[in-house]
Amino acid sequence: MNAMEKVAWTELVVCVTAVASVTLLLPWLGDRATTGFALLGLMVFSTLFIRRRGNRVVVDERDREIERKATSIGVSSAWMTLFLVLIAATMWSGYSHVDAVPIRFLNWLIWIQFAICYGVKGLVAVIMYRRQHAA
Amino acid sequence: MPRKKESTLRNCIRELRTATSGMTQQELADRVGVTRQTIVALEGGSYTPSLTLALRITKVFGKTTEAVFQLDE
Repeated sequence: MNAMEKVAWTELVVCVTAVASVTLLLPWLGDRATTGFALLGLMVFSTLFIRRRGNRVVVDERDREIERKATSIGVSSAWMTLFLVLIAATMWSGYSHVDAVPIRFLNWLIWIQFAICYGVKGLVAVIMYRRQHAA
Repeated sequence: MPRKKESTLRNCIRELRTATSGMTQQELADRVGVTRQTIVALEGGSYTPSLTLALRITKVFGKTTEAVFQLDE
């Protein structure tokens, strides 16, 4: 497993852990369960894997290509989530005649988007690395 | 409507590497500036290299590009 594959696994595991912890905290904390998304900050430590050691190459063109594709799919997924949720909110607003959304709704939306972006990015990168190793 | 099958790029990096005084994947990776996993992917045929990397590899083996990489149609 090379450095960027470890970064991808870290992103995936951190995102899954954050979402799982938020889900577990939800019955007790309600909307304050979004504090569980703070675990996403652990992704910072993935940079430790791409420290340069000696003259050996750590990240090469194949890693950059996988990173680019994974980021593109991750960001697209987050945008698509935003569009679908906003469409659903607009439809709900028209149905229930409520012309405003609570701030806590936006708070949830932002955190979920963040988790989806990095979770999907990590998952796509892991799948691409696995496929290349399996071939 | 039937779709045209995509061409794939075959290579004989493994054969050339082992023929060149038993060069290891790591040694080749260091000489062309990539990770060992990329050499593994190249030899397995699951990764198509950039033109720059392909030229660097052919230079290491002292061969022409066509001698190392072949278009499988």
